[in-house]
Amino acid sequence: MSFVAAQILNGIATGMLYALMGLGLSLITGILNIPNFAHGALFAVGAYLLASAANEIGNFWIALVVAPLGVALLGLAIEYVGIRRLYAVGHDYQLLFTFGLALILSESIILIWGPVGYSYLPPPILRGGLDLGFTFYPKYRLFVMVMAGLLVLVTWLFLEKTRYGAIMRAGIENKEMVSLLGIDIHKLFTVAFALGAYLAGIAGALTVPIRGVNPGMGVDMLGIAFVVVALGGLGNLLGAIAAGLIIGVAQALVAAYWTEASTVVIYAVMAAVLLVRPQGLFGIR
Amino acid sequence: MAILETKKLTKAFGALTAVNDVSLAVEAGTLHSIIGPNGAGKTTLFNLLTGTFPPSSGRILYDGRDITGTPASRIAHLGLARSYQRTTVFPAFSLLDNVWTAAFATGNSWSGLMWRRTDRYPEVTERARQALSDVGLSSKSNQLAREISHGEHRQLELAIALAAAPRVLLLDEPAAGLSPDETRKMVALVRALKGRYTIVLIEHKMDIIMSVSDRISVMHFGSLIAEGTPEEIQKNPEVRRAYLGGVAA
Amino acid sequence: MKRPFILILVSIFLLPLVVRPAIASEIWIFAIFGLGLNLLLGYTGLLSFGQSTFFGSAAYVAGWLLKFYGINAFLALGIGVGVGAASAALVGYLCVQRSGLYFIMLTFALNQLFYFTAYQWTSVTGGEDGMPGIPRPVLLGIDFKDPLVYYAFVSVLFLISLYAMKRIVESPLGKILQAIRENEIRAEAVGYNVPRFKLLAFIIGGAFSGLAGVLYAMLFGIVPLEAISFVFSGNVVFATLIGGSGSLYGPVIGSFVFIWLSESVSTLWARWPLLLGMAFVIVVLFLRGGIVEAWSRFWLWRSSKQKN
Repeated sequence: MSFVAAQILNGIATGMLYALMGLGLSLITGILNIPNFAHGALFAVGAYLLASAANEIGNFWIALVVAPLGVALLGLAIEYVGIRRLYAVGHDYQLLFTFGLALILSESIILIWGPVGYSYLPPPILRGGLDLGFTFYPKYRLFVMVMAGLLVLVTWLFLEKTRYGAIMRAGIENKEMVSLLGIDIHKLFTVAFALGAYLAGIAGALTVPIRGVNPGMGVDMLGIAFVVVALGGLGNLLGAIAAGLIIGVAQALVAAYWTEASTVVIYAVMAAVLLVRPQGLFGIR
Repeated sequence: MAILETKKLTKAFGALTAVNDVSLAVEAGTLHSIIGPNGAGKTTLFNLLTGTFPPSSGRILYDGRDITGTPASRIAHLGLARSYQRTTVFPAFSLLDNVWTAAFATGNSWSGLMWRRTDRYPEVTERARQALSDVGLSSKSNQLAREISHGEHRQLELAIALAAAPRVLLLDEPAAGLSPDETRKMVALVRALKGRYTIVLIEHKMDIIMSVSDRISVMHFGSLIAEGTPEEIQKNPEVRRAYLGGVAA
Repeated sequence: MKRPFILILVSIFLLPLVVRPAIASEIWIFAIFGLGLNLLLGYTGLLSFGQSTFFGSAAYVAGWLLKFYGINAFLALGIGVGVGAASAALVGYLCVQRSGLYFIMLTFALNQLFYFTAYQWTSVTGGEDGMPGIPRPVLLGIDFKDPLVYYAFVSVLFLISLYAMKRIVESPLGKILQAIRENEIRAEAVGYNVPRFKLLAFIIGGAFSGLAGVLYAMLFGIVPLEAISFVFSGNVVFATLIGGSGSLYGPVIGSFVFIWLSESVSTLWARWPLLLGMAFVIVVLFLRGGIVEAWSRFWLWRSSKQKN
């Protein structure tokens, strides 16, 4: 029993990270109306930046602040230099561009950090476990749950309670209206991309003490982010959380009994949900 | 006999009821106009009739058959064809290909669908050419749709509907955005089609409506407020009130 | 209309003189793969980023049967076409109900489903090591082990595929798919069940991919894991776009350029994907429209120079 409970907790922790990924992707995709195939690579860059920064500085916490900001800056540059020029072209070229970026980023990771991954320990204060009564559970994973929850909450507050957030939501619904309001849509796009990149970056950074780093982590996460968005709907915060948790928990439970299927199950769950509900969990096109 | 009928047709989008309890009967062979100020629900009514979305409640009868909820792609095969208020054609196609595509859809047979060359369907091509000639675009049949003028787009819009060889034509503001001269031509065209088809016409321009219609239904805020011959409608006080300060007079 | 065909015929005869027969075969195999994608991408306006699902599935199934049951080559190709079409029907059924960016993401996600299945199911697929030992059969007394004989076989199948695709895009179906690309709402309104036609395009595209997949497996004697991965899906999109998705011959030209370049460069440097990524970015930023368009722009430019 406690084993299953622990697996469910594991699923919630990874599910929250999936939700963060999906949320960031959903902002970028929804507002900029582009397929962002570089989202997984941004996740991987976030992870590697954290590992490097933490090793260089010797402090996990500073690295946790710096690494996602680095990814956000990278996102800013990508939007400003490249994607900005591609709003008028078809999705095919946008896809090729972001896919090309993903290749460049993941190959650069191999060139800089080498083809072999490595693991990284959580900061001393978060090592070991906590007795939750029904199970003994790693502190770091509890921390990830809280952090990811907080980030989702802050993103929600930003989108729902601030003026700029309201504009962003409007941007997902109706871009013409936003430009009619006299808002600089290009700036909005840049901010949205940077914010989405930040969320991918911090999801990557938070993953490192659990899974370590390896060059393939970006692509794996890209597919998962797509699943979250396909199930949860673009710009749908609750949808992203629900989808993230569903696949996270499903994955953790299956992994406990049939390790080989732990990745396949994510996509199988998606396919099963879409068979029953072709428009996703909340029926949004 | 009514060829097209709605019974208590209602469509609500959230809190907004775009079409409210509309019961309408279009007699075969007539030209039946639907007028009303902007936002009265006329286009929504067309979207319901052509299966773009299902109604919230109520029924649609075509030729005595209940066709409520029939998807858009089936409607054309039943003999109902529509034109759009905002031009929606196939821009990269030649004018002939535009109407050909519509003519093929409702053709007798789809045999050779994946294999036979499109120029080996003489009856479909003939019907397509006829539709173009009916609207006066024969001379431009090889031009691309994205290269013709707005007025010609409106004609093409109509030709695509005609190519389906329908029994009922639903025309959504065929004269939208046309110059007075082009409008005159369009009116002549609609008048020429009258009698050959049952026509349901949405139009803003009162002079057109009054001169071509057999019957007129007036919509206001989603509801039907009056119905009658052009003379009756002109005299109706409620209609006058709805239009006072409205779009047209 | 005739000129591209003559050019292709000439290329088929000259190519083995310039490159190794294996690469020459790969070019035409990839062109078949590209033809299938382009029915979706260029004609229907559906950007599928999961074509390797059908390519790889067909290669694994036919490869398995060739390896363990020694089935004949035509049967293997037929099975490959069938498996490609069937897997495309499954994937397409889920994807065509969504549109735009959702559609693209779904094709990728379902590609991942098949990829990870192949990756983990090592007892059948060999996982990361691939499925080796796929024989090139002897057929009607002809031994396909000779690379040139196999090249001839591939060339004939490519020409048949090209002819079949030409017939399809010039048929009413081709017109309807293009109508869906041009204006989905109007296509629906004039009487076409759009999702069903999209699904049909998927199935046909899948059949072409399946044929290409089996030919690929027989060419190299192995089904590598990449054959069902996003890498192949991306490559075929890229090849088609650089060739130009607007025409029937675009993917053929694209695959010619792409395979030739990648086979020459990838052997030189292990970090070849980095260059590929840069190529994607450069093409998108500076060479949109593909080779066909760049070529015609070049001719326009030249003829305007000559006039001056």
